[in-house]
Amino acid sequence: MENPAITRPSRHHAILFGCLLLAVLVIAAEALRWRAAHRATATAGAVPSLTTSNPGRVTLTELSHAHIPAPRGMPSAHASTLAALPGNRMLAFWWAGSRESGPDVKVFASTWANGAWSAPSMVVSRESLGAELGFGVRRIGNPVAWTDRAGRIHLYVVATGLGGWAAARIAHLVSQDQGKHFHVRRILPTSPLFNTSALVRTAPLALSDGGWWLPVYFEIGNKYPMLMAFDADGNPTSLARIGNSTSTLQPALVAVSKHEVRAVMRDDSEQQLVQHAASVDGGATWQDLPALNLPNYSTSVAAIRLTSGQFLMLHNHVEGGASARSILRLSISNDMRTWRTIADIAKGPAGDEFSYPSMQQVGDELHITYTWQRQAIAHHRYRIQPEGTT
Amino acid sequence: MILPDLASQIVYGRIGWAIVAATVVCALWRRAAPMPRATLAAIVAGALALMALPGNLSPAWYLGLAFQYPSGLLVGCCLLRLTQRWNGLRRSQAMPRTLAGVLAGAGILLYLDALGVLTSGYYYAGFGGVVAPLAAIVLAIACAAAIMLTHARGHAAAVLGAVVLFSVLRLPTGNLWDALLDPLLFGWALVALLAGARRRAGRQTSGRVPANDGEPVPGAALQPLAAEHFSSLKEQVGGQ
Repeated sequence: MENPAITRPSRHHAILFGCLLLAVLVIAAEALRWRAAHRATATAGAVPSLTTSNPGRVTLTELSHAHIPAPRGMPSAHASTLAALPGNRMLAFWWAGSRESGPDVKVFASTWANGAWSAPSMVVSRESLGAELGFGVRRIGNPVAWTDRAGRIHLYVVATGLGGWAAARIAHLVSQDQGKHFHVRRILPTSPLFNTSALVRTAPLALSDGGWWLPVYFEIGNKYPMLMAFDADGNPTSLARIGNSTSTLQPALVAVSKHEVRAVMRDDSEQQLVQHAASVDGGATWQDLPALNLPNYSTSVAAIRLTSGQFLMLHNHVEGGASARSILRLSISNDMRTWRTIADIAKGPAGDEFSYPSMQQVGDELHITYTWQRQAIAHHRYRIQPEGTT
Repeated sequence: MILPDLASQIVYGRIGWAIVAATVVCALWRRAAPMPRATLAAIVAGALALMALPGNLSPAWYLGLAFQYPSGLLVGCCLLRLTQRWNGLRRSQAMPRTLAGVLAGAGILLYLDALGVLTSGYYYAGFGGVVAPLAAIVLAIACAAAIMLTHARGHAAAVLGAVVLFSVLRLPTGNLWDALLDPLLFGWALVALLAGARRRAGRQTSGRVPANDGEPVPGAALQPLAAEHFSSLKEQVGGQ
């Protein structure tokens, strides 16, 4: 006989309970995260890191120049990037294949040690990337590398979805063994439009807490620069736009002081000058500045702050009958505003291409790599000396 | 900014795309005879099995290539449609006008910002450590209240599911916007709005006075969701 005192819980009560449970779950999850994040931000204040030794003017003396050994059967090479290794060693990454956007394009790496480059090794292909991501990658593009304080190499690689470079995403790979093996950490979320049209090209900027800023840019129609901040473990912490311009891309970030950061950028406007933006609050907000008085016919630039405190920029100069990328010039500045030419690193007749430069200071040496005629990656090495010394 | 790990994204992507694909197949079935439950179950199971195939044998390989991951709300709305078909409801409202309006409005702002036309940083706010979690909590409470008050239960449950997925696992991408909106859902919202406007215009032309603004009579679980539940998110994010 049925006991009238014991009734099945009504459907309404079950729904009521379920809803309350889910709402409490959301509140609890967010509260726990907020608590953890609050603790982390209380102990870390991420401002650009400045390493200064022997402040003052410097002179540069070329020590050597050569091509990094190319992978066999890969006639096209482009977009090199450098990462420091312990013991004054370096890693160079670039992409190579039959042609830009070709299905056989892969990212290769070579190690600089004892004054020579190692044979290139394949790091990532669209097949290997797709296998780890669980979805397809149509083509591989620019790599950007960074060595964190723990010695891990972080490699950011442009990987496109359905479409051209405007459908690009950024894959984040990490190596725990100084570049011998990489595993995919994730695709970085940068856009609500199927997470497409975000690319990397220029080198990250170190932060005082061990983190770094990765320069990123968007390029469907309008082109604008962004930066993604990472903590010391390589986890993204924020994403922000640099300035309000809609015709600049490939920002090269340089710290002027702990709170002042400048971005020099490729110009996609009719002005055809190196574009310029600044942040005076540690990267929280950015203001577009007047362009520098340096020509830029839509080509990538590289900039660093030397440990002496001076600034170097590699940029394509245009004069006389030169074409957009036929002169690669190295310039120096004390204030990021007025630039003086040091040397033309590479120069050829109109139509030649010396482009997409990268720079790295390793001890008292400056290493420069760039694309040579879209066929190889060239490497130049300079001795950095205080002015007046021999 | 807390992002999900890749393994959970891969699992989510496969299941999410399976649910979306099954819903599309069922939608194409619309004009045929009522769908038996066994058929519906077979479609869902088939979609799940296909998506689970390895590498480029899986449709998820190509869907991920093109669209990456569906938003939690798109998956929720698709699940709702499948549930309605399971319960034999074939001519239900595809998307309530209020929800479609909010999604379309938010999408226009978000996508104009992403394309660089605006410079408000709406998408970046979706990663924020304060506004996005608060917006998720407000949405969760609002949706739970709507469900308890039997107010637009189905779609409130879909939003609640997307918020729970975001808050607990940070799926699909770690950004609140990606949990609530994607270009496919935005397109669905626009089509729902256009179809509703066309129906209303057609009825006005034919001189008929619509009983409830020209839309199909929804069931008890399909009443439009209250505007304030969604406008609260808009205000929170827009305040960045």
